[in-house]
Amino acid sequence: MMGIIAEMLQAIIAVGIVIAGILATIVGVKDRTKKISCLRVFVQTISLSIIFLGLIIGPFGLTKYPPIGNAPRDMLIGTSILGAPFPDGLSVPTMACYYPSGRTMTCVLWQIQSYIFPFWDAGKGWGVNYVSSGLERLAITFGLLMVMSIVLGRFFCGWICPFGFYMDLITRVRKIMKVRHRNLSERLNEGLRQLRYLIIAAILLLSFIFGAEAIVGIHLVSGTEYKGFIYQYFSAPFCQICPMRPLCVPIEGALGWMNLNYVFSQTTGQFYEIGYYVTSLNVLVLILVTIGAFVLRRFWCRFCPLGGLIAVFNRFVPFKWASVVRLYKEEEKCTKCGICKRVCTPQVTEVYEEKGGDVTTSGCILCFRCVEMCPYEDCLKINVAGKTVFKSKNWLNLSK
Amino acid sequence: MTGIDEIGMKYFLEIPQKEIEEIRDTIKATSIKVTAENIERMKKTTPNRPETMTYFDGISDFFGQREHEIRVAKEEGKKVIGYMCMFAPIELILAADAIPVQVNSGWFDATKLGDRIVPVEVCPIIRSTIGAKMVGLSPYLELSDTIINTLTCDGMTKLGEILSDHKPIWTMCPPRVKDSPQSMVLWREELKTVKQKIEDLTGNKITEKEFRSAIELRQRATKAFRRLQDIRKGSPVIMGRDAMLVNQTSAWDDIKRWTQKTEELCDELEKRIQQKMWAYPPDTPRVMITGTPMVWPDNWKLPNLIEESNPQGVLVADELCSSDRLLYDPVGVDEWTMDDMFNAVAERYLLTSTCPCFTSKDGNEDRINWLLNRLKEFRVDGVIYHVVRGCMLYAMEYTRIKRILDHRNVPVYYLDTEYTREDVGQMKTRVEAFIEMLKAKVEI
Repeated sequence: MMGIIAEMLQAIIAVGIVIAGILATIVGVKDRTKKISCLRVFVQTISLSIIFLGLIIGPFGLTKYPPIGNAPRDMLIGTSILGAPFPDGLSVPTMACYYPSGRTMTCVLWQIQSYIFPFWDAGKGWGVNYVSSGLERLAITFGLLMVMSIVLGRFFCGWICPFGFYMDLITRVRKIMKVRHRNLSERLNEGLRQLRYLIIAAILLLSFIFGAEAIVGIHLVSGTEYKGFIYQYFSAPFCQICPMRPLCVPIEGALGWMNLNYVFSQTTGQFYEIGYYVTSLNVLVLILVTIGAFVLRRFWCRFCPLGGLIAVFNRFVPFKWASVVRLYKEEEKCTKCGICKRVCTPQVTEVYEEKGGDVTTSGCILCFRCVEMCPYEDCLKINVAGKTVFKSKNWLNLSK
Repeated sequence: MTGIDEIGMKYFLEIPQKEIEEIRDTIKATSIKVTAENIERMKKTTPNRPETMTYFDGISDFFGQREHEIRVAKEEGKKVIGYMCMFAPIELILAADAIPVQVNSGWFDATKLGDRIVPVEVCPIIRSTIGAKMVGLSPYLELSDTIINTLTCDGMTKLGEILSDHKPIWTMCPPRVKDSPQSMVLWREELKTVKQKIEDLTGNKITEKEFRSAIELRQRATKAFRRLQDIRKGSPVIMGRDAMLVNQTSAWDDIKRWTQKTEELCDELEKRIQQKMWAYPPDTPRVMITGTPMVWPDNWKLPNLIEESNPQGVLVADELCSSDRLLYDPVGVDEWTMDDMFNAVAERYLLTSTCPCFTSKDGNEDRINWLLNRLKEFRVDGVIYHVVRGCMLYAMEYTRIKRILDHRNVPVYYLDTEYTREDVGQMKTRVEAFIEMLKAKVEI
């Protein structure tokens, strides 16, 4: 009992210090070109702690080093949604990752993949029991994804996604080192943006091929049978190359919420030299993306399949008509000064090129940096359900 | 036969020194008289003219305080870099601790000298600048160590060539299309070259720190400028001519002092707003000017006519590269690295420009958007399209602008003129008729 209270106090103090520090910077920031950015860092920090440590540092005081299947997420969240048993937690379209113990939500991509293979049928999953069929679980996942995409869209990418935050931090390091960033050519960038949909298609196809036996009754690939190699170690194919997994698992471990000794002791052959949660492919991709993010701002976001999924449910007709968060531009106030194009981290050009009206695009991560930097009063606006939340201001008014 | 080089001067004529001095003294005397007269007229229109305007009156004198300051600074080893056009990257000049100064000429009498070199069909700003150089009239032009010449219109292109007889000229070639990917590449290279030249001339390397403080200096000037514009938008506390003079002096004044004085002026005006001390009746027809730049002191005909006409009009806004366009756009820097600052400056000068020398598949739509935005924000009643004879690019865009303004039910009047005092009477009739029409509309 005393232990739990002590831990809670510790956690509260830690979070309190972080929040106080960031709040102080927000109040202290007089420069209008930094206000939204500072608010964003604040929101990102809070989201990060909620996503990965929410259940441990919160008021629950759950056990450290929970065995697989008894992770706090499985105990508390998402045991049922709309009456349907849904034990893997709330699907949120951020790189929130399924693997760490303390996380409060689950990456949509993991759910989509693993409900097709290996958990199409009801039965035993990784430490949990699925009562409903794969189709039902997929419907819930996609339903949640659709609602969240329509409501917040890629706001998830700019303000909530922990991996986006990681890349922003790298950018900050680069700025401190006074190294310039590079830009991709517009064609290549556009190509990368299309690549997202290809990755999504490949993931779905691969999962379907692996799961063909359960779904249509044809055994296509060997190793997909129960306890086979693919079943054990190559289910959820995207997760095996995802750069987020080798980032969040060790960090949670280092904070003491996962038993790293255990995670890293179980190396089980091909790819899994690093431990049963992290493959060497994961680490390789992480290294490449880290280098990429140092050179190009928000490098991963340009071809992130999760961002693509949100974009599908936010920018494609008919979802487009219902999307809630939108970026508007007023044509007459725009002088085409090019600032919005230059400050855009994933190099979206439409805000600059489109004449006016709704300029939200699938590549936009809604970080609002362009709104913040636009020096013309009311030219760019962020509308949430028709209400203007942020708009561009004559930021010279408050700069020193 | 002699080669091209052996002829010596390319364009300029040999004029006896005595004649030069005589002409210079005459024009200088006229200029001083005209400057004083313009200021007197501005004072007469508004008996309660803001007190801070005295400073700008002083700085508007080409042969006064500012000339002396630049001369002293030059003797102390500072370099003076003149420029023809607002495309010259002033931030870079400031960062290298040189003095930027605009050298275009507004002297009517100097055009007659220019006629000896170029035909009368050429834009009078060009002819006047050539004339001023022929007799060494303009102190800023004479004090410049070099001149940055941007090849915007045809006149500017040849002007640099002609002046190169006497001055080192650095040309900068802006692309005629702003939004193609290759144009930014060209413009950045042009800017890089000029940066190198500035560094070589001044002997100062442009460091990140200096560059940043130069950008921030100009941002503060933009801030002050915009504050004055916001005041003009709202209450009728300042005449358009006064504001126009303030804007134009920023092209040769010390920018730091100019900013401070403009802020002082705004403070004074804000006090007047509280006291409801209006400079003109609030229902005065609000006129906007667009078109060819108007250069102090002689080409002040139109502003004078508008604000002295009967019924009176007021100049609330303009789209002139000699006034409102000078400081409206700030340099917006994302990351304060040399690279990003440089890109920001490059984009600020090329992309925000509404000069008619640009075209795109939508025409020069940036200019149209600028005009439409101001129509709304400044509650403009009518537009006067000012073109001097020979200013082809502005003249050619008129039809399109008129069509768009007609569509919005905003009266627009094409006023063509010359660098001459002879057409003032005729212009007066035309301007008064236009303003009377606006007035009638206002009263309805």
